[in-house]
Amino acid sequence: MRPAGILVSGRARGAALASRLAALLAPAAVVAQPVEPPPAQPTDPLAPPAEPPPPVDPPLAPAAEPRPAEPPAAPKPPPAESPKPPAAPVTGAPPVASVAAPRPTGFAFGSYGRMIAATDGRGGPGRDSDIVAHGSRLDEANYVELELRRDDYWEKTRASTRLVATLAFANPVFHYDGDFDVSLAVRNLYLEERDLGAKGLSAWAGSRMVRGDDIYLLDWWPLDNLNTVGAGVRYDTDWARWGRPEAPPAGATPGQAPPQPEARGNRSSIALHMGLAQPDSAYFHQTVQRPAPLNQFGAVDVEVLDRQKWIGSAKIEHILPVGREAGVKVVGYMEAHRLPAGQREEDTGVFESLPAESGYVIGAQLGAFTGQRDTHVNAFVRYATGLAAYGDLVTPTQLSIDATSSGASEMVVAVGGNWEFGPVGVMLGAYLRSFRNAGEALDYGDVDEGIIVARPHLFFGEYGGIAIEGSYQAQQRGVVRTAPESEGEDGAGEGPSHFTARLYRVGFVPFLSPAGRGDYSRPHLRLIWAITARDDAAKALYPEDDVFGLRGVEHFLGVGAEWWFNSSSYGGG
Amino acid sequence: MRTTYASKKVWVAALAVALGAANTGCMELDEGAEGEIELATHVGDWRDEVIYQLLVDRFADADEGNNFRVDTSAPGKWHGGDWLGVEQKLDYLQGLGVTTLWISPVVKNVDTDAGYDGYHGYWQQDLTAVNPHFGDLPALRSMVRAAHDRGMKVILDIVTNHMGQLFYYDINLNGEPDDRVAGNGITSGVTHLNEYDPDFDPRGVQSFTSLGESGPAPIIFNYDPASNHVPPLPEVLRKPEAYNRKGRTYNFDDPDQLLHGDFPGGLKDVNTTRCDVKQAMVDSFTRWVELTDLDGFRIDTVKHVEREFWRYFAQKVRQRLHAQGKDRFFMFGEAFDGRDILVGQYTKNDLPPEGELARENECVSDGVGLTGDQLDGVFYFPQYFQAIRDVFQLAQSTDRIEQLWSQRATNYGTTPNELGTTLPPNKSLVNFLDNHDVPRFLFSGAGTPSLHNALLFLCTAEGIPCIYYGTEQELAGGNDPANREDLWGTGFDTGTSTYGWIQRISRMRKAYKALRAGDVAVTWASARAGDEPDAGAFAFERAGGDAGDAYALVVFNTNKNHDSSPAFDGAPMLVNAAPGTVLVNALAGEQKFTVSADGRLSITLPPESGAVLVPESQFEGGI
Repeated sequence: MRPAGILVSGRARGAALASRLAALLAPAAVVAQPVEPPPAQPTDPLAPPAEPPPPVDPPLAPAAEPRPAEPPAAPKPPPAESPKPPAAPVTGAPPVASVAAPRPTGFAFGSYGRMIAATDGRGGPGRDSDIVAHGSRLDEANYVELELRRDDYWEKTRASTRLVATLAFANPVFHYDGDFDVSLAVRNLYLEERDLGAKGLSAWAGSRMVRGDDIYLLDWWPLDNLNTVGAGVRYDTDWARWGRPEAPPAGATPGQAPPQPEARGNRSSIALHMGLAQPDSAYFHQTVQRPAPLNQFGAVDVEVLDRQKWIGSAKIEHILPVGREAGVKVVGYMEAHRLPAGQREEDTGVFESLPAESGYVIGAQLGAFTGQRDTHVNAFVRYATGLAAYGDLVTPTQLSIDATSSGASEMVVAVGGNWEFGPVGVMLGAYLRSFRNAGEALDYGDVDEGIIVARPHLFFGEYGGIAIEGSYQAQQRGVVRTAPESEGEDGAGEGPSHFTARLYRVGFVPFLSPAGRGDYSRPHLRLIWAITARDDAAKALYPEDDVFGLRGVEHFLGVGAEWWFNSSSYGGG
Repeated sequence: MRTTYASKKVWVAALAVALGAANTGCMELDEGAEGEIELATHVGDWRDEVIYQLLVDRFADADEGNNFRVDTSAPGKWHGGDWLGVEQKLDYLQGLGVTTLWISPVVKNVDTDAGYDGYHGYWQQDLTAVNPHFGDLPALRSMVRAAHDRGMKVILDIVTNHMGQLFYYDINLNGEPDDRVAGNGITSGVTHLNEYDPDFDPRGVQSFTSLGESGPAPIIFNYDPASNHVPPLPEVLRKPEAYNRKGRTYNFDDPDQLLHGDFPGGLKDVNTTRCDVKQAMVDSFTRWVELTDLDGFRIDTVKHVEREFWRYFAQKVRQRLHAQGKDRFFMFGEAFDGRDILVGQYTKNDLPPEGELARENECVSDGVGLTGDQLDGVFYFPQYFQAIRDVFQLAQSTDRIEQLWSQRATNYGTTPNELGTTLPPNKSLVNFLDNHDVPRFLFSGAGTPSLHNALLFLCTAEGIPCIYYGTEQELAGGNDPANREDLWGTGFDTGTSTYGWIQRISRMRKAYKALRAGDVAVTWASARAGDEPDAGAFAFERAGGDAGDAYALVVFNTNKNHDSSPAFDGAPMLVNAAPGTVLVNALAGEQKFTVSADGRLSITLPPESGAVLVPESQFEGGI
């Protein structure tokens, strides 16, 4: 029996959602009506769980990017929903528009990276202890992107091209595990043409991360973050065209970009993208063995299922200047996902039909920026349904009765921002997310969760400072814990309970910032000490014998570095 | 721009060159590699033939391209022999005196199972496809055609009793093959349960769990293309009902197990009483004849198949081939058994009861009702045990040969099958010294003189001689698979004494019709096997019958220690040759013997030797 008012139907959401999510995010102490019954008994952090831990499901939510591997500790069990993308250092600033001047011809190198040597204070490695899909990034593992870029300006056509190749390396590294090996991915490999035929018109093709603004503290792109192999077009227009020449100035030498004009004014853009993705799972492809044709020897592999997602996106954006530097940004966003029908072999010669399915995303963003020291705020709202609710590189699980993802949904409301004044800066991030898989009944894969995180910075001149981050995250899954055998606090036997897992974290980050002060100023050399406290419900998310299921408090002590420069993926270049 | 006439010519020329180049690049198959072929009768009298049994995988390897999964270091693995190898060694075989090849099965097999390979060909999986280890259809056709061009014939080994290990019995209904042990050994016996090869159950293999039996165990076909454990072909063999599904035979004396049990090794017993199975077997194997112009079938494990099947199969194969111009197609079966009555029953022309025949005729779809005809002959296993093993290898008394032969007209069919070889089965039994299922003759410790003596017996006894490959190279392997050596390891040496001996006695057989077509009359057999002067002596005449006035007297001494004579108490053996007839040893022309006035012949032979005496008037020198 589940507590009334706690679990709602897998399909019923709407008005109840906002209030439930709000309650979810509220610290337990201030919730008027307990979201879950009180714990049955005080839990000894070292005692084994009273019941078998829930199984760890496949990823549930948008998995935009391969998750950088964690340090060699026990796997993080509960959310595993979204492989964390790397940091997005520049947020909220106006995008570099196509209507800007051509890029300088030549090769360029850019990078984003974070490396850390960390411990849990008990002799083990530091380990990510978030329970929500997009948690605090203080305890993230190593991840590096190396971007090599080639820009050309073609005088005959006054067009320019850019070839981008981005290699990404995930943990672990050789000097840690001694394996002369690497976890490597090609994140970008595309060619983009700009201003070919029409000023402001650009097109690209290849493999590309297609994304907008992020929330730095959460290492997350709440509105749009697609990874496909495909192509796209974009048109940028500058309504006022303040002071920007239409063509390179006379006398520009071939191959040399004209000077960068100032681009300030009402600017709009529309971007369309269509791409393909085929996550590596039996939902998309299946290889079986068959006897070799024409009575040849042995067996050959046959792809009896080989289908790929078609993902299209459309984004329209407008920036309204306010004064000389500030502005307001409005974004409308849509995605459409389509997966054709196929068949999968269940047993030899027995095929299961996999129907075609689809999904869509609608979302919006409203932002404001001062133009001074990266001060901005962005609010996002995003709704995804069907196939799109699972994301671009995630395999749908817990399907509906028709064996599709129809009925799955994800609702996200998120806020991110930054404010800096004098020697002080504050970064902020928060989101509420409700995910329902396609299965009719509530289960472990159905999640309501959220986080609020703030990181004030205090700068000591231009050389560095200290940041203190505090966060609270909570998660509720569609499962009910059976009662422990002992009695509850009131002496009565406790019934099965729907529970909310909660996690608190405070982190201290003294840093050196050779590039000067600024919340987004990088590189950083830094120390991190993050203290995470989780409640019994959060511990229950981990399997038996996982120390995270036994301990209530975790430490993450590390020294490391973070940098970004000249990377086209993060607004540089 | 207009195209000028000259430029048009250039284009035409270029096009012609391109087309020509394309044409010369087309692959051309050898003549006869594709399309239908015309069947023909290549045999006059099967008794004129000398059969040579070979395992294709072990005879000669001429095509590296089909050496897949080859491991010549292990006798149970593929070794690489192929049909091209056979074709390239026809000179070697013809020189030996061989006139007919018996080749191991050609159909596609389970490739490997439990660490052993299907190199022998008896683990069939697809009756419609060739075994690619041995080549392709053009290679098989080419080999048969090359043999025919030399006047040689080809007999194909086939199996109708069982298929390879293609399914398992899901006894515990968990949908996967298990190999487990049940029972604690204290209050219950320990039973080893293998779902691939469970023990015979007359009800059919039963499924059961800890709660008891739960009905017939379903069968589940394996699917592992890499080892060619895939559902069988033709399609009818994919039906569970096409199999008896009773488990592995463990008592061959139980008729139910004998006929309906799986052959040890998990070879699945086919339900050969079903009409669709009978028709499929006829269609599948006759098709190989139609594709290659083969001359006969050696049929495996006939005693494990109901006689009603043999009536249907033999008659329908003959009728179908006769309609296409192929007659005297020879079908002989293998019943690995020493009981003469049992072995002979597959050649008898005896009709079943009327009701039974009517039921069998329900399978006939061409309107030609069944008769009592069965096989044309059998592999003469009783003679192998009672003559070859007991007498020639173990030097026991020779009267057991006489006793055996005296039952031949009783135990075997005596009338030719309609559209068959024209010979009665009792005159076309296939004689052999050894084969792929028994140790080689020399493995017993018997020496080369004993082997040569047995070979002489093989080539003079009534029936059709069959030589197991490698005998000519004096191979001495023991039981399977040690008796399946690579012949190429001998270098195909034509200088061995046994190669020369076979060459001579096969020539002799060819030269003297009496040895091929004469009736048999035993003139001496002895119950003595010790120091007695006739211990080991055995003699028989070949005369009359289809031999006209040809005559031969064959005399053996199988004793290993002393000279022997077909005589006792001073009385030589009586013969049917006229008194005064001078008989010459066909293998030693200087040895002459005269029939006495009272019709007796005196001859003494050294240990383990023989003589073939023919009238001086019929003697042909130079052998």
